[in-house]
Amino acid sequence: MTFKRISILLSFTVFILYGGLILSLFYFYNGQLFLETIKSERTLFSLRLSLVTATIATIASLIIAIPSAYALSRFHFIGQSLIDTILELPIIISPVALGATVLIFFNNPFGIFLQEKGVQFMFTVYGILLAQFITTLGIAIRLIKAAMDEIPHRYEEVARTLGATPAKAFFTITMPLCKKGVLAASFLTWAKALGEFGATITIAGSMAMKTETIPIAIYMRLANADIEGTVVLVFILIFIGLGILYGVRMLTKKSIPY
Amino acid sequence: MPLIELKNIEKYVLQDINLTVYDKEILVLAGPNGSGKTTLLNIIAGLIKYKGDVLFDGRNINSLPTHKRGVGYLLQDLTLFPHMNVWSNIAYGLKVQSYPQEKIEKRVEELLEALHIKKLKDKYPDSLSGGEKQRVAIARAIAPFQKVLLLDEPTSSLDAQTAKYFRIELKALLKRFEITSIIVMHDLLGAEEIADRIAILNKGRIDQISTPEEILFHPNSEKVSEFVGMPNIIRCDRCKVLSTGLIEVTTGDLTIILPYEGTKISRIAISPHDIYISDTEPPGPTLNRFKGTITEIMPFRSLMRLKVDVRGIEFLTELSKEAFDEMELSVGKEVFVIIKLRRLRYAE
Repeated sequence: MTFKRISILLSFTVFILYGGLILSLFYFYNGQLFLETIKSERTLFSLRLSLVTATIATIASLIIAIPSAYALSRFHFIGQSLIDTILELPIIISPVALGATVLIFFNNPFGIFLQEKGVQFMFTVYGILLAQFITTLGIAIRLIKAAMDEIPHRYEEVARTLGATPAKAFFTITMPLCKKGVLAASFLTWAKALGEFGATITIAGSMAMKTETIPIAIYMRLANADIEGTVVLVFILIFIGLGILYGVRMLTKKSIPY
Repeated sequence: MPLIELKNIEKYVLQDINLTVYDKEILVLAGPNGSGKTTLLNIIAGLIKYKGDVLFDGRNINSLPTHKRGVGYLLQDLTLFPHMNVWSNIAYGLKVQSYPQEKIEKRVEELLEALHIKKLKDKYPDSLSGGEKQRVAIARAIAPFQKVLLLDEPTSSLDAQTAKYFRIELKALLKRFEITSIIVMHDLLGAEEIADRIAILNKGRIDQISTPEEILFHPNSEKVSEFVGMPNIIRCDRCKVLSTGLIEVTTGDLTIILPYEGTKISRIAISPHDIYISDTEPPGPTLNRFKGTITEIMPFRSLMRLKVDVRGIEFLTELSKEAFDEMELSVGKEVFVIIKLRRLRYAE
């Protein structure tokens, strides 16, 4: 068997693995229950909560990620490699550990002071936002930086020789040129925020109709041995996730004009 | 009147560069790779930090950022903005400097006309040819009424024939819009066509700066002479126009036929690699073919350089080591010297 055939075969193994897992869900699929679960107030609340918090967390991440990615992509400064390395933290550290770190922080005197004088994060929707924000920020920066690295900085230099300030060059040249990459990064960040579980349950808990996002709802239903209900919620997440992946694929297609 | 003055500039390979470029002048920076030509352009544009002073119209602009210097810059790779069509590329500088829409439209139309690219205005850069991109990039660089234009190897992406016409057009354009220009060029032949003055940069220092004629006929050092190709400079004693396009030039006992462009010739520069050597009499016409004697043999990089005495006039010639070995050439041997016509250069 040639190397080419082996590699193609292995790529199909990946498809069979994930496809098989999704297919296996149909074993517990119940059409009647599917509609009931989807229409239930609790599911709709979880869905709405997940969509809203993921969107807000993504916007907050992007507000910091875009300028940070630009700085990391274009400039050389003290501490650059340190920042670049720490971006991987949400990837290498388990989300639960990340959530636990936040929990511990809010239990030290400074954290307690912040909660008392500012926003209450523990076991609230703000906690969900914080959990999604801290787990997605590093990834958002990494993805956007990759998109910006693709754009030669010579374009900005030319723009500046034509009279554009560095900020104007950024908004009129760099951003339009990497907008597909930034959009794709935004979608992936949003999908990551939507599926966030470990940090969310650690910081915000799992209170039904209060802090129960879709991933937490899945966990709760599974804990109660409600397999059929779990399947419905998993399908919702898979449906949204595949939609996002398809959208990203379309966006990053070379044939699409700027 | 000096428009750009560089004083004691130092950066990377550049050492203590002092240079004055006059108003509306076209100065070509020539020199081998790594001599600091592009670095010097980046310094003038304010794209990199440097030691020393840059003055525009007598005013020190060291602290001015790139976008306030008013210097157009045509990069070697052109870098047209791929997400904008030709019209928007040219209008970009005017837009970011908040010119009124009416003035933007008038200026863009003027440049589209001047560079003969009107029909391209709606096209995107990826659908343009190398020559078209070049024109658009020049139009864009000078659109915001820049007084100074820096051009880094503007003809590098063009074939020899297109480059020649482009240089003629570019010179006319720069003179028409009265733009002071500094052009980096490798090709000395091209530089001679376009430059008012040429500066030869070598290992971060300016070896010579003068008119193309002066550089070619009076190189001030061995290095400059080497860079311009160690031409044989032949003094002309008598000239006789033979017919349209041909002139007979006599120097000592030697008579050479040259293409005639209607200029009075006082000296001829012949590059060593434009002189062929043969140990046997070549077939064909005897035009510009002479018998001579080898007086000196010098290895030069992968080539051999020979000095050949032809009726009291010494010619420096170049040939490959293989050809040298094959002909078993040695000092004192008689050879035929054949002068190629097309690359001769003259001084009035």
